[in-house]
Amino acid sequence: MKSATSRSLAEIASLVVMLAVIVIFFAQASPVFLTQRNLDNTLLDITTIGILAVFTTMLMIGGGLDLSIGSTVALCGVVIGALQSTWGILPAAGFAIVVGALVGLLNGFLVTYVGINPLITTLGMLSIARGLAFVFSDGLTIPVFDLEGTQIDAYNTFTQFGEGQILGFATPVFVMFTLFIVGMLVLQFTSYGRAMYAIGGNDKASQLAGLSVRRYRMTAYMLSGLSAGIASVLLTSRLYAADPRAAPAMELTVITAVVLGGISLAGGKGTLIGTALGVLILTTLLNGMKLLSTSTDAQNIAQGIVLLVAVGLDQLRTRNINWSRWLRGSRVVPGGAGAKTAAGGD
Amino acid sequence: MKFSRKLSLVFALVVMLLVPLFPMVKAQDCPTAQDEYVIGFANLTEDIVFTQLVREGILAAAEEAGNVEIVLADNRLDGATALANSDNFIAQGVDGVIHFQTDEAFGNVIMSRFRREGIPVIAIDIPMPGATFFGADNYNAGRLAGEALGEWVNENWDGEANAMLVLELPQSGPIPAARMQGMEEGFQETVETPVADDMIFRLDSKNTQEESFQVVSDTLPTIPDAEKIVAITINDGTALGVIAAAEAAGRAEQIMVVGQGADPSGQEAIVAENSRYLGATGYFPELYGFQIIPAMIDLLECRAVAPAIYVNHVFINQENVCELYAEAWPDFCAE
Repeated sequence: MKSATSRSLAEIASLVVMLAVIVIFFAQASPVFLTQRNLDNTLLDITTIGILAVFTTMLMIGGGLDLSIGSTVALCGVVIGALQSTWGILPAAGFAIVVGALVGLLNGFLVTYVGINPLITTLGMLSIARGLAFVFSDGLTIPVFDLEGTQIDAYNTFTQFGEGQILGFATPVFVMFTLFIVGMLVLQFTSYGRAMYAIGGNDKASQLAGLSVRRYRMTAYMLSGLSAGIASVLLTSRLYAADPRAAPAMELTVITAVVLGGISLAGGKGTLIGTALGVLILTTLLNGMKLLSTSTDAQNIAQGIVLLVAVGLDQLRTRNINWSRWLRGSRVVPGGAGAKTAAGGD
Repeated sequence: MKFSRKLSLVFALVVMLLVPLFPMVKAQDCPTAQDEYVIGFANLTEDIVFTQLVREGILAAAEEAGNVEIVLADNRLDGATALANSDNFIAQGVDGVIHFQTDEAFGNVIMSRFRREGIPVIAIDIPMPGATFFGADNYNAGRLAGEALGEWVNENWDGEANAMLVLELPQSGPIPAARMQGMEEGFQETVETPVADDMIFRLDSKNTQEESFQVVSDTLPTIPDAEKIVAITINDGTALGVIAAAEAAGRAEQIMVVGQGADPSGQEAIVAENSRYLGATGYFPELYGFQIIPAMIDLLECRAVAPAIYVNHVFINQENVCELYAEAWPDFCAE
């Protein structure tokens, strides 16, 4: 356990160094990079990714995967747009969060009870949610305004979700920070958090130990969908519009950030501090490249390289290479000393 | 005489002193006027040829202007990204912004930022409240093609067509609808005998060549007696789909097609031997910048600019393609 903790600290330290290098590089390259305005913009821009990353982290620690979150964000936004005039904007926003949770619950049911591979299940849900978003919106972006002037107070409240401030932070940023803190507390100090590490580390052993693996995993999928609903409310409020094309390829960005932050694709490992650093590294890199007018192709390539490097590092960690033997010319030692324990988790 | 000479001298001195002050007066009258400008350009997407040409044209026009630096961004067909790019432009202190964003619905929130900062905006193709509009004159662009098709029918088919295929794009709302309306009305008002309503077939092209091929392949067997068929199409790709379907059905000689865009694939079909693609209305995305950059400089230097600036559309056919794109089709133009 001690070595696992020190390894985890070393990983976080390496992420901090990586972030520092990126910040120093772009601070030198662009005079705008470290301005208050740009920092505020960057924080606001990462809220959707950040909120999704919190619950994707929990899910992946428990051995799950959700590729449908971006499409679920779009679907929930369209639900708000479609129901705003008949239900009222605030009930519509509440229902959108419920829809997100239901999508997650359905994913969880198909994965845990029906036994469909998580990749296939959530890939299918990605198409279904995006398709439904287009069907309910007729393919058009829906303006979110009080067109009839009958819900002025409700729309003012709704607008505050995206544009307001709490304790000096933009509301979406405050929500993201809050979710990160709550998530960290849940993972570190609750039986749910410990169970997710255990299940991700070895689900069969966890089952034998009396944990209800299916129930825990279903909850994690439901929370993942719920986070898409929350992100969608904040995004729709910021844009004053619900777009069926919203959050394009968001799942890839989120998974890249989460894996970069040290969450293992095999489950059972990682921390939300790592995820927060992964989100910051990825978005800082992309923000810096934007400020330098770097082409979109270059940004895509950079994101792809970051994903491959992150997954590569994850593989090396999982295979637990004995570097001193490797350097002496020996082969990789799969599952060598210090391999993942049944309980998993660092 | 002596007095008037002195007076002249004093007048000349006063003028010499005042002349250098004129630019200062200008700067005070127009707070945004400067010697050099930084202009942000957020492109719709970098994934399609049309928008890549728009970007290249804007960069070329900025270079030609000599005092304009362009800061580039990509809206990636996404409202949230367009909003983030707007915030980034403001953080970078740009003097003006050219926004090619995806949907009118995001216009209010984007423009509220720029209005707060007093930054002038030119919106390409998608109008935004408070921004100068630049873009296609969709209805008239459509009419140009429709009228050309009507004239061809008058000259070659005794002013009468048996059926009309309308390859439209209903899900994309009013802009493509205006093009289609212009084409249909232009044709019907030009041709000697308009096509009867029950012989007009409205087909959803879904903006793709494959879908266009499919829906026309399904429709042609339902009009076996029609020997003079005209087709108006939303873009070059759908036009090519129509022609391919007619060829596959062995009825290529019975159809004549017009479209919108005149991109390289469309031009290739136009210059082909025995072409059934009469022509297409050109949008000239590569020239957008040469109208937009001067307009932006006018805005920044407080000169009057029309609230809407339209592309100068031309209907491109075999007769004029060499005037516009001779280098692209050397063999055809050498004939």
